[in-house]
Amino acid sequence: MNKTLLGYVPEQSPIYVVHPFVKLFFMLVVSLFPIVIYAPEWNALIMLVIILLMWYSRVDMKTLKIYVPVAISMGTIILISYTVLGGNHPEFRLLVRFAGINFYWERIRDGLVVYFRILPMIFTMVFFLSTSRERDVIVAMRFVKIPFVVTYVFAMALRSAGLVLEDFFIIRQAEQARGFDTTGKSLWYKIRKYIMYMIPLFALSLRRAEEFTNALVARGYAFTGEAARVKRPDYVLTHYTFKTLDMSLTAAISAIFLIILILRYGYGYFTLDTSVFISWLSRVL
Amino acid sequence: MQGSTSGKELTAAQIWSVEKGEKRSVNVIHIVITALLIGIGFVVGAFGSISFPLGFGVNFFWTGIAVQQVGSIWFGMWGVIAGAIFPFFSNAISGTPFYVSLAYIPANFVQGFLPAWAFRFFKADPRLKTGRDYLILLGAMIVSSAFGALWSPLVVLKGFGLLTTDSVPMFIWGWFGGNVVAGLVFNFILLKALSPVVIKTAAFVKKWWA
Repeated sequence: MNKTLLGYVPEQSPIYVVHPFVKLFFMLVVSLFPIVIYAPEWNALIMLVIILLMWYSRVDMKTLKIYVPVAISMGTIILISYTVLGGNHPEFRLLVRFAGINFYWERIRDGLVVYFRILPMIFTMVFFLSTSRERDVIVAMRFVKIPFVVTYVFAMALRSAGLVLEDFFIIRQAEQARGFDTTGKSLWYKIRKYIMYMIPLFALSLRRAEEFTNALVARGYAFTGEAARVKRPDYVLTHYTFKTLDMSLTAAISAIFLIILILRYGYGYFTLDTSVFISWLSRVL
Repeated sequence: MQGSTSGKELTAAQIWSVEKGEKRSVNVIHIVITALLIGIGFVVGAFGSISFPLGFGVNFFWTGIAVQQVGSIWFGMWGVIAGAIFPFFSNAISGTPFYVSLAYIPANFVQGFLPAWAFRFFKADPRLKTGRDYLILLGAMIVSSAFGALWSPLVVLKGFGLLTTDSVPMFIWGWFGGNVVAGLVFNFILLKALSPVVIKTAAFVKKWWA
């Protein structure tokens, strides 16, 4: 199994046939689709495609469970935002009045539209995180010639996040061993005592910064001055070739986006007026 | 150790002023500290984003603010850069769309930049020795969070069509309260506890870059 940024993917996953840049490009471009697509059924289709891609890539779907509460809370917030906090609008079609709150068709419709626009953006991000390893991000960045220092900072940041998380668990266990345990305490108590983890985390990171620096200096790394201008062999890039398949996928993603833009702004597709789902829901409600 | 006067405790003005003959330049440690701050922010920020979400990356209690503001006070522009970048990661993990996170950058930048600027401009002591230091930190926290709270719901979330006009105040107060309360809980203690050590390290930034 390969450890990705969010979970695990088998080493034999078909996703590794694809160049890391294509995954990054997919995330950047497909995230734009719901910005121009308003019709919920099309956004639902994007989500379905991404789920199928995850399944095809053999992503461990169990890791995605953490997004169920996110999706539910986000949906609830959007619904509350558009209905309870939506204000009084006599010009809208009143569906029901409950506990003094007016529920208008237009508000529920808009809430649904927003929810269905935000979900595909989250899905594309989750797809990227659950299929990409730290190395993939580095390769993708170096492939598009992002400066070495920027790539290095990103790589180190991703690596250090893992280290910080490890430190966090060690600190928590060390404090539990000393009798400090927040289990069963109130939320406010837990929040206040979170500082008990933050101070050691910062202190450890400061010490680690010095260790990292010494290690880098000892290896002759420099990010400024003459030494920084020395051309570095992109060793990691030699393991990846941008094949015809990658070119085709990149071209296909770009073409789909272009088609969506033309259909949306040239022919008025993907709008609420053309939405089959919205017109059906309007009739039902 | 840079900038220390042996035996005597540094004054607030001495902390920020470059002594005669003292050479300060951008070093490998600054790059490393930026990366590590992004790493801490990633983990700490994600805790707040997952535990207390209001939606779209706005939280009732955002622990990441401590890394953003304390890191910027100690490490100048490196902390500001880290503070602008790490929410990208912590938001991504907690399910905020990529382009929404991207649009938050100005808010996150100001939230890190303003406390760093205030401490350097007013020569406040990061060890929080006097009431003035506390006041400067509090003021910077409030003003910077107010900017973030206005920018993010009004410009970003409204711009993406994610909020109705009537629900904007909830997000403004959510962002503002979530940042200021978390700042009150963490910033003061972190600065008080760790500044005496940090100002003596090579990573500490007196000006903006070194």
